[in-house]
Amino acid sequence: MKSAALEQAVITDADFQKFREFFYRKTGIQFDDTKRYFVDKRLIERIEATGSDNFRQYFIGLRFEANGQEMQALVNAMTVNETYFFREQYQFECLVNSLLDEVADKKRPGQRIRIWSIPSSTGEEPYSIAIYLLERWARINEFDVEILSSDIDTQVLSMAQRGIYTQRSIANLPKAYLNKYFTQTKEGDWAISRDLVDAVEFSRVNLCDLNDTRRFRDVDIIFCRNLLIYFDDLSRRMAAEAMFDALRPGGFVCLGHSESMSRISSLFAVRRFPDAMVYQKPLEGKA
Amino acid sequence: MGLKKTTEAVGLRRIEPRDYARDGEGLLDQLADPDVSTRRWAARDIADHPQLARALCDRLAQEGDVSVREVMFTTLGQIGGTAVVQGLLPLLRSEDANLRNGAIETLAGMPNDVGPSIDLLLQDNDVDVRIFTVNLLGDLRHPRLPEWLALVLKGDAHVNVVAAALEVTAEVGGGPLLPAVKAARTRFADDPFIGFAADLAQQRIEAA
Repeated sequence: MKSAALEQAVITDADFQKFREFFYRKTGIQFDDTKRYFVDKRLIERIEATGSDNFRQYFIGLRFEANGQEMQALVNAMTVNETYFFREQYQFECLVNSLLDEVADKKRPGQRIRIWSIPSSTGEEPYSIAIYLLERWARINEFDVEILSSDIDTQVLSMAQRGIYTQRSIANLPKAYLNKYFTQTKEGDWAISRDLVDAVEFSRVNLCDLNDTRRFRDVDIIFCRNLLIYFDDLSRRMAAEAMFDALRPGGFVCLGHSESMSRISSLFAVRRFPDAMVYQKPLEGKA
Repeated sequence: MGLKKTTEAVGLRRIEPRDYARDGEGLLDQLADPDVSTRRWAARDIADHPQLARALCDRLAQEGDVSVREVMFTTLGQIGGTAVVQGLLPLLRSEDANLRNGAIETLAGMPNDVGPSIDLLLQDNDVDVRIFTVNLLGDLRHPRLPEWLALVLKGDAHVNVVAAALEVTAEVGGGPLLPAVKAARTRFADDPFIGFAADLAQQRIEAA
């Protein structure tokens, strides 16, 4: 049964325009006209959830709320979080076959290697990186490796830290890894080992917000896959510059297969490895 | 060794206290700092000081590091507005291609602010400025775009400006521009490249 609010709430063209401009300013995420149905549906859900009578009332409340709670709830509703373990696996191969060795060769044994996975979504990517490191990189015991993982959506961050996955999420995992790092729950889902959960530092970050990203420094490798496709040109450049400043000289960025840093920024050099093409921050003095 | 969970102290850099003051005057001073990273951070943080937009534009030509320049352009794109447009338009006359292209790219992202300047730019005495303005039109989402392209195709006296407009028309033009494409072809009937470019633009428009 529909609630009264749901029946009353209508998002007009002007509402949609006003909302998407506001949401873009706050998050850097751009919705074009093809996303209208998606946006309307979630806006109506939030109007209903907050007990607002209509879009106008909801929007005023959103803009003037002091604590930012509804803004976060809205961000959680508007972001897409579908992923799975070992997605675009060729880049993890590149990580253990090429990138980590190049990074490690510039460090002394025992020094820290830092990897940043953004967006974390529900945790499949940072945990895939952790499994690859443990299973496929022979030098893992020579270095301290830190995995940082961030997302703008606090709800998925909670799910990542909970670490419970459906059959669909783990379908790509080799059986041996599944048995080693997961236990099946009574409900038939898969719970990841607490050791892996404890090995990843999760944090809430908006990649287009300087106040969020300026804390990230001395990162060696960034995975930022299938996020920039949701940004417009200016936000993409801001995100690229935030990654540039977070990286050490010589550090790497891995983007999704349909994304190209060359079309966003000239700050990075293209590196072609046997498994994948990635982007590299120039070494100092070579910019 | 192995996987190691970071702590706030080592994994993430504390924000406070900042290494440098973030007030407007301090940020402008830091744009002259010998350290590239300090200049880049200053350029980013000026986004919170829109009143410094014009001063930031003025620093662009002095900045030699491409990574700092790129951040300066992004910050100007964030700030937007008339002051940024007025600060960037002179760069269309720059001999430095990086500066010129950065200005065009940034201006293209602020159609409402740059729109009022287009008519004047298309009448500029400098052919290069008119060509770069047409290049800018190629990336500018503005309702008057067809009108401006038609103006150039029908009226500009210089073949290279018209050629640039035909290239843009081939990419973004629609049916209403077909008469202007034909007019350009007629006006430069002796020029084989214009003939080729006009045919291409017409084919692309008709196929769309």
